[in-house]
Amino acid sequence: MTDFNREMEFVSEAVNEASQAFVVSSTELFFILLSACIVVGILAVLGGVGGGVIFTPLMMCFTPVDSFIIRATGLLVAMAGSLVAARPFLLRGLANTRLIFFAAVPYSVLALMGALLAGYVRESSGDIGDAWIRLSLGIIIASVSALLLFWGKRVDYPEVNNVDRFTERLHLEMSYWEASMFKVVDYKLRRAPVGIILFCFVGFISGFFGLGAGWAMVPAFNLVMLSPIKVAAASSKVLIGIGDTAAVWSYIMSGGIFPLFATPCVIGVVVGTYIGAKIMLKVRAGFIRYLIIAVLFGSGAKLILDGIQKLG
Amino acid sequence: MKKSSEVPAVPVSGIVYGQIAYWVLLLGLIVALVGSVICMLSDGNPGGSAVLDHVWSGDDVPTIWETCAGLATPPRGHWYLQALSHGDGIAMLGIAISCMAAVLGMWGAALVMLRSPGQTHASLTRLYFLFALIVAIILTLSALGILALE
Repeated sequence: MTDFNREMEFVSEAVNEASQAFVVSSTELFFILLSACIVVGILAVLGGVGGGVIFTPLMMCFTPVDSFIIRATGLLVAMAGSLVAARPFLLRGLANTRLIFFAAVPYSVLALMGALLAGYVRESSGDIGDAWIRLSLGIIIASVSALLLFWGKRVDYPEVNNVDRFTERLHLEMSYWEASMFKVVDYKLRRAPVGIILFCFVGFISGFFGLGAGWAMVPAFNLVMLSPIKVAAASSKVLIGIGDTAAVWSYIMSGGIFPLFATPCVIGVVVGTYIGAKIMLKVRAGFIRYLIIAVLFGSGAKLILDGIQKLG
Repeated sequence: MKKSSEVPAVPVSGIVYGQIAYWVLLLGLIVALVGSVICMLSDGNPGGSAVLDHVWSGDDVPTIWETCAGLATPPRGHWYLQALSHGDGIAMLGIAISCMAAVLGMWGAALVMLRSPGQTHASLTRLYFLFALIVAIILTLSALGILALE
């Protein structure tokens, strides 16, 4: 074993021991969770990501809570945050309803399958299954942080010249009022067949690991299907609320959601999202994006090490 | 000033979905919060607070249910409907209501699409009604526990 591995193992054990030695009453714990999740919600908005993608890896890294419970609650957090954020996007016509209803079919089905598989792994694979989950989630989270860091190619208004026949038949093109430019933006989309494959993949990851999926849906809409960036972000939010609902019921039905744990987490992230949206109007929060990337990368690295240690 | 004739019409199905999902979610979260407060304030129900302690100490799902509720295996389905006299049952009902937000929203959107055929392409409306209907059925089957792990 290398020195680095020994040091990481020592840090990991110290964090776990500190978490378990942190004795508080259940009422205090409720309010600590509520406060921590408000902070997560604020940072998520300022960093331009969803609450779920921060909640799940952080909880899995730095608390002793069982990974199945964390993933179930993380999915609930992602769903609630998206449902709250969806309304203004739909009222303003920023979210493309045709695109959402079209994408919701593969996304919901695969998110549900991911959640069912998560339940099956919990019941059949025990610690080995948990180790593989930590390892895979670590790789995904580290990849997400790299995606957030290096994804500089986002295009505000991509130009679409050729539309394939399948996408053309779906008539996914729409328009919306762009207040900042004081004009109507008409846009077309393309590559719907590739989109279906991506929605399936992202839906499965979201349902299985209890993550939000904005980190993958926005690039899929913007870079692959060539929707304007605002439409991509708005449509992604609405879609996650629908797809994660299909998956979250599977966790509820298998007794994996405990209300006294889930309630402060969900309410905290929703309240934090509101506060973050207000703060965002007043401050420049570019550095928080880098902070979140660093935290996600650190969490991903620790989950990978946890997974390798458990497998070893 | 915005010229109303230039502003594209926003699809009603989307508005209906957004409104239903938002308000049902908020209602559910309020019920969940009330249930949690009742659970923490009630002295006669140590189960609720014990659950949080066990969750925080890292116990897995079957162990928590066995220790706190005396169940050999975790309950399946809508277990909270039999526990509405307790705070944690009410809190779980609130979470379940929150999770019904998108289910009800999708049915609302599908019904609106069915009742408003005044769009340019009737076949297109039928296609997207079909998509909305499929998603609404998937969400409903999931919420009913029919699409669940046994």
